[in-house]
Amino acid sequence: MHPTKSGRWITQTVSSTYLSEAVAIWLRDLRSEFRTRYAVNSILMFALTTLVAVSFSIGSFRIEESERPFLYAVLLWIILVFSALSGLSRSFVKEQEAGTMDILKLSARPQAVFLGKLFFNLTMLAVLELIIVPAFILLMGYKIIFPGCFVAMMVTGGLGLGAGTTLVAAMIAQANARGALFSALSFPLLLPLIITAIKGSERAAYGISAAGWPEVKIAAAYAVIMITVSLLLFPLIWEE
Amino acid sequence: MIYKILLTIWMNLIIAAVFLYVEPAAGFPGEVSRILFFHVPTAWVATLAFLLSMIASSVYLITRKVNADFLAQSSAELGFLFCFLATVTGSIFAKATWGSFWNWDPRQTSIVMLLMIYGAYFVLRSAVPDHEKRRMFAGVYSILAFCTVPFLVFVVPRITTSLHPEDTLNPANPGMDIKTLIFFLGSLCAYTGLFVWMLRLKVRMLRIMDREQRAFRSNF
Amino acid sequence: MCTLKVTGIGKYFSTTLLFKDISFELNSGDVVAITGWNGSGKSTMLRIIAGLVRPSAGRVEMFCDNKPIPKKSRRQYVGMVAPALALYDELTALENMEFFCRVRGVAYDRKSCFNILERVDLVKHAEKICGTFSSGMKQRLKLVQALIHNPPFLLLDEPGCNLDSRGIKSVKNIISDQRTCGITVIASNEKREVDYADSIVNLSE
Repeated sequence: MHPTKSGRWITQTVSSTYLSEAVAIWLRDLRSEFRTRYAVNSILMFALTTLVAVSFSIGSFRIEESERPFLYAVLLWIILVFSALSGLSRSFVKEQEAGTMDILKLSARPQAVFLGKLFFNLTMLAVLELIIVPAFILLMGYKIIFPGCFVAMMVTGGLGLGAGTTLVAAMIAQANARGALFSALSFPLLLPLIITAIKGSERAAYGISAAGWPEVKIAAAYAVIMITVSLLLFPLIWEE
Repeated sequence: MIYKILLTIWMNLIIAAVFLYVEPAAGFPGEVSRILFFHVPTAWVATLAFLLSMIASSVYLITRKVNADFLAQSSAELGFLFCFLATVTGSIFAKATWGSFWNWDPRQTSIVMLLMIYGAYFVLRSAVPDHEKRRMFAGVYSILAFCTVPFLVFVVPRITTSLHPEDTLNPANPGMDIKTLIFFLGSLCAYTGLFVWMLRLKVRMLRIMDREQRAFRSNF
Repeated sequence: MCTLKVTGIGKYFSTTLLFKDISFELNSGDVVAITGWNGSGKSTMLRIIAGLVRPSAGRVEMFCDNKPIPKKSRRQYVGMVAPALALYDELTALENMEFFCRVRGVAYDRKSCFNILERVDLVKHAEKICGTFSSGMKQRLKLVQALIHNPPFLLLDEPGCNLDSRGIKSVKNIISDQRTCGITVIASNEKREVDYADSIVNLSE
């Protein structure tokens, strides 16, 4: 173990941007996740069991045709939201439990950490939706008149879910009683988004005039505002 | 001390007058409309308290002055209390006029969401052992929650239609008779005064507790 | 030329006093050892200097070429090794290095990382998952992590723990190298490590 004569090992530095740091954190999280499958397993298993329970107890014919668009939208979003709440705090909680949180605080800028974790959570949500939504549509016989609007609602709804929960995850990772706290703190913040998403999915399924896709716009606005506010507030809870 | 005595007299006068002097408003069964003098001021105080709490939280995050956090915490607790009272009085009124205690009227929906947000706020406060971190987290959460409120205001009325009496019992409405208006405003002042008194007590209590702790420390 | 100025630092945990009124000033080339009984707050002192813990009283200031370093960018000037600072167990040694390079804005190339790993005798284990490492191997990798961005302020919390004689020798080399270009703060009770230092701050007094 002999450093070079100058006493230094690596001397060349390149300028790093928030985005490049965030991407580094995102890729690292993905790599860890790919090896341990901790968050994705808990999220997907939760989602699949709930989906099976719902599908088994309701089936595709129990609910009348006219009621379906609304009730199915409610069920779908309940499954999605609670599965997300069961696992989205993992990325921060794991740093805390493995003792790597301080080293991350020492090496990366707080905004980059937030963005990296946000990207990771959004990836998890994308995986969740890509598996659960088609499965739900097939199992429940969910007819959707406007697929474009439906997909847009899923995308903006997922963005909003990630945006509204990432900062809370960072807080509860540093508090006691982590498991229960995450849902308790996130749910009130997510309520407007959930209501909007249910309304939007129902509209897409009914096929009533969806001019302008108002719910998609509200969900997108929610996501943008939550991300902006979180970026501003995150350094406060991340640094001592 | 003098403040407390004046407040007691004022509140008693208002309560007596509201039951004995003011006639019930037309269009409501029996004595039901008298709830105006109690329900609306509690809701007003709750709104005021939550707004104050949110402003004090922001001030704490900027200045890191402990006093601002004491104000934020006390104000949130009192706001929760008054919000709960408003929910209860409102739902008694709902039972008397619409026949059910609860029917997810937009007002009821938003008040429940407020209760949930601040319930979570207190849970968060109790879950962080470190004082400084607790104050910081509470402030951050309260601002984050505040940012979702505009969405609620925008989203909730699109889902359910309101049965909430706006016109017949709206103080700004010229239809309200002058006697009712005067005592309504009197009651509003009384409740605000009550809130200010309770808030000062609570803040003083937190300050004394903090001072005791500091004194205990400096003994070492 | 860098300066570390610590003035009147005190730390309480709720109502228990850890230490108070700790002051010292260091310039480039200085090596200081922080000593004290177990539980006297050596690690906490280092964490306060690194900016991970907020002191209850006093302040820590850092200067480079007489310009104060704002608290926000302090992390770029500090390298730290501590038992509580863990590396990512699911990644290999090389991937850990890559991550810290990328996150700190240090140019990463595989070859130079291999060179460094060779110097700490880890080249055979470069592609192995860190979770399988022994504590000594982890400690070597932690030293690499702390030096990856050339920090003028090096904070070593028990740098020699779990290391064999060769590892301890390299800690000595690292400290003597740091003398030529920066400040070293060592928190330890190990006689050998305290002897590297020019001055001692005892927290138990």
